[in-house]
Amino acid sequence: MIVVSAQPQSAPLAATALQSQLAPQWHVVVLNDPVNLMSYVVMIFKKVFGWSEAKARVHMLEVHERGRSLLWTGAREPAEAYVFTLQQWHLTAVLEAA
Amino acid sequence: MKRVEVKLNLEAVAPLLDAIKAAADELQPTLAVTPQVPDLEEEFAEDWRQELLQNQRSDLDILLSLFGTDFFITGVVPLDATNSEPILRACSAVRLWMRAHSLTAVSDEALETGQMPLLETTEGQRRAFAAYVFLGTLQELIVQHLDPTELE
Repeated sequence: MIVVSAQPQSAPLAATALQSQLAPQWHVVVLNDPVNLMSYVVMIFKKVFGWSEAKARVHMLEVHERGRSLLWTGAREPAEAYVFTLQQWHLTAVLEAA
Repeated sequence: MKRVEVKLNLEAVAPLLDAIKAAADELQPTLAVTPQVPDLEEEFAEDWRQELLQNQRSDLDILLSLFGTDFFITGVVPLDATNSEPILRACSAVRLWMRAHSLTAVSDEALETGQMPLLETTEGQRRAFAAYVFLGTLQELIVQHLDPTELE
């Protein structure tokens, strides 16, 4: 006997979307330091995040004037990768729970 | 491949190399900035630190290789897409280390403007300060002429 089970097609997709909504989000934040040059920091932001010069400058100035800038928010794994890369460039980068 | 050759004044730069090499030696076992490693298991956190340290050592080797025998003959340092990024990072590491160790008595304002108060400073501090400014100038030059984001 063949039993045909009629499962609604949208159920797995809905569950995945719900999981994605519930997954914890993480902030990548850079803190100010008195050593690294403004032009160096702008270059790093452009390189790591693929930003325009203008956007990179906005975040660099935020770090300089306010002491910190939130650079990226998202899943834990890519957030860790961003923090590691920024630390390779000797920026004071931290991971914070959103 | 874009390449920039920088002709340096040997008499001015050679004395600074001792301060740079000393900082690079001190940075062999430790990171220029203590990283805030995300809340990971200790094994992973140690791997994180060790990988940063390996990268820092490699970058410092590339910076120091600029000032080998050829430099003392020609006074020229060659910069291109293959060495610009490691040199940028190494300059940053050495400057951060100097700021935290040899230049603690110097104000942030003096470090930012490059104007060293000559009084009340030792010869060692003056040399470290000059090396700090020199490495910052080298970084500016690389960003200006060999910006890695524009070479990609």
